[in-house]
Amino acid sequence: MTELSDELLVAYVDGQLARKQTHAVEKVLEQDDVIARRVKALQDAHSRLEAAFETILAGEELVVAKPEHAGLFVPWAAAVKIGLAGVGLAASLMMMIAGYGWPLSLPDFARSFSDLNDPGYTGSIAPSWRETAARAQGLLSRESLEVGLESQSNLDLIAVQLGQAVGPGLKLPNLDRDGYRFVRAQLLRSGEERLAQLLYLGTSGAPLALYGMKSGASEAPSFKRYGEIGSVAWSEDGISYLLAGEAEEPALMQLAARIRSGPQTAGSEGAKADSPTPPPLPVGGAKP
Amino acid sequence: MEAEEFHDSIRPGLIAMLPRLKRFADLLVGERTEATALLRRALHFMLAEQHRYLQGRALDGWAFAEIYRQWLAELGHHADPMGQAKVDEARFAELFGDDGDALTTGFLASLPAQQRLTLLLIYAEKFDYVEAGRVLDISADTIATRLVRTSAIFADRLGATAQPQGSADITALFPQGGRGSS
Repeated sequence: MTELSDELLVAYVDGQLARKQTHAVEKVLEQDDVIARRVKALQDAHSRLEAAFETILAGEELVVAKPEHAGLFVPWAAAVKIGLAGVGLAASLMMMIAGYGWPLSLPDFARSFSDLNDPGYTGSIAPSWRETAARAQGLLSRESLEVGLESQSNLDLIAVQLGQAVGPGLKLPNLDRDGYRFVRAQLLRSGEERLAQLLYLGTSGAPLALYGMKSGASEAPSFKRYGEIGSVAWSEDGISYLLAGEAEEPALMQLAARIRSGPQTAGSEGAKADSPTPPPLPVGGAKP
Repeated sequence: MEAEEFHDSIRPGLIAMLPRLKRFADLLVGERTEATALLRRALHFMLAEQHRYLQGRALDGWAFAEIYRQWLAELGHHADPMGQAKVDEARFAELFGDDGDALTTGFLASLPAQQRLTLLLIYAEKFDYVEAGRVLDISADTIATRLVRTSAIFADRLGATAQPQGSADITALFPQGGRGSS
């Protein structure tokens, strides 16, 4: 009987041997039943392990393919847009305060990764309110509650506070002339980045929101609709913006153009001088 | 913006290999829920520390190594690392759904995590011994040794199942009892 080590036989089964060695082993196999049985057992072990690993992979591929929830790494614009698209801006903002935990399963992660390029909105599956709320919750940070924007009536002061947090180029436009009065601002987050949110109310309907986050690139305005929510995204002066609300494309594009052409902070220019609007509401809708 | 662009450069790759990364974490931890949590933490770290990824290295190898490193680091902080590393056989079998055969799943569950990963990297991921060694931070020789040992033990079990009487001839092949003892 020939003695061949398991090292050699495993290497043979795994196809790691040189051709000459392979032929030598095969020659032994033809003549030695014991070695042949050993090789067969090793081959069986090999194929069972491969099959077992394939089974796990197939299961994980199925799980990852299920687009059920929101994700971990949603870029801020996508998170804002998707969050707003579900049940509308007003409900989303209300639910942001509710404090639901963030869904953290792997499919969530996969889904959110795929959101990075902001694929077209299909709206085929309406998210539940919990899902929408949970997505919106991801925008909140401690700073959302800890950073005091106490003087919400003073746009200049808010500009200083948000400018320090987000970036000096951040615009805080006055949209009174367009029929939207400034109501309040707050600091949100997108991952580790700070995200400013300015909220406006028209004479009726849902709020209008302007989001701003630090960015390095300039980008021309582009419109995109997410269900009921229309949005215009652009970047300028180191800040990336998203204007979102239940409005039509021409109206939002016009607002975006006005914001782009306007001064950095419109508080002193418009809000106090010619504002016909009532005093803004406090942060979170209630005074501490 | 440069950092963002670079950041984005590894994201698509990670997306594409998510099921494979999850399988790696599954076999490392031994059950799905904890594996998901581990993978999530590891991915957070990879994205935050993407500058550690060196262009030219296979992204899958790097990502596997980061998951393994994360697991080791967390294990080291635990009061009972050995206890933590043990897997529950029933929960481990759930990884295979209804398609796993009990002999194979039971065998894999009985192995230390590093040996399960060695089998995965070589047999399923088709890594060569050097790259598998880089993932697990061991030499290619150690990979080869582990592979032979675990393959031989499993083949023995399969042989024992097929031939309950055993074979004196097979025993004679290993007069020093070298198989399974490295």
